[in-house]
Amino acid sequence: MKKQLLKEIIEKKEKKIEFAIVTDLQNGESCIFEKNKPIDKNFEKYKDKIDLHFRSKKDGIIEGTNIFLETYIRPIKIIIVGAVHIAQYLVNFAKSLNFEISIIDPRGYFATEKRFPNIKVINKWPKEAFEDIETNQNSALIALTHDPKIDDPALQHALKNNFFYIGALGSKKTHENRCKRLKEAGFKDDEIKRIFGPIGIKLGGRSAPEIALSIVAQLVSETYKK
Amino acid sequence: MKNSFDEKILEEAQDWLSAKRNVILATVTQTWGSSPRPVGSRMIINDKGDFSGSVSGGCVETAVVRECLGLLKDKKTHKKIEFKVSNESAWEIGLACGGEIAIFLEQIN
Repeated sequence: MKKQLLKEIIEKKEKKIEFAIVTDLQNGESCIFEKNKPIDKNFEKYKDKIDLHFRSKKDGIIEGTNIFLETYIRPIKIIIVGAVHIAQYLVNFAKSLNFEISIIDPRGYFATEKRFPNIKVINKWPKEAFEDIETNQNSALIALTHDPKIDDPALQHALKNNFFYIGALGSKKTHENRCKRLKEAGFKDDEIKRIFGPIGIKLGGRSAPEIALSIVAQLVSETYKK
Repeated sequence: MKNSFDEKILEEAQDWLSAKRNVILATVTQTWGSSPRPVGSRMIINDKGDFSGSVSGGCVETAVVRECLGLLKDKKTHKKIEFKVSNESAWEIGLACGGEIAIFLEQIN
């Protein structure tokens, strides 16, 4: 692999572009493949096969060739609502799992750079904050404030924009009330059922890092069901 | 498929290159049977013999390092290596799980 290619790969990863690294295992040549873009001339004759393999989003050798393909799909974006204690631990897990995280909290004393160094912290109400963040079915919402004023608008945005994971902190009772409010706001039962509430898998722990771990475990598990 | 849980080995390779090291990239290209790490798993090795990442559960990494240092010594750019099931004797290089893996080694140049 050329140094220049490695540089380009890292840039594409940072820019969240979908691409594949294509390697000829016979002669060691490699290049980047992107959908609907011209491919390196050394790989031109494999273009259709590469394109087909890329659509399957699988890593591996293309059958009947010496061409190895490694696909990179768009990373998952996580939006945390509530710059609370649990969020601080979520950010720590995120570092090793390589999540892209944004935190929304209109409460200035929570949403500080000091509490969340090197993280995108948006000190606005969710409705305004979502104007600054591009979201889609690769997005996940973790609502942690259990304050309806803050959580509900974020949950509504996530439901409308088809987030693949939506979780909300709070007891069963809190969640029942939340569901009632969303129903009153016009959401259907099967939409509301998509929200994980109480959030997280059952670990048994009640401390902030334990809750963060249970949320991350659930989120990763849902990622593989996509 | 690499999603957001990618291990950032390529980024680390970049750091090593910036520190003027020779770097070899090892990638799992094929697996048969029960292998510990999937296709696309990566490990990097430098000319000092430092390594990061993994291509198995610790079963063949030392052998991969040795192969990579050999590659550098022979001034070769790439090589394909395969590992099969290990026999019973301790410290034998091979996969304890009974799987087989093919690994592609390439110098970043």
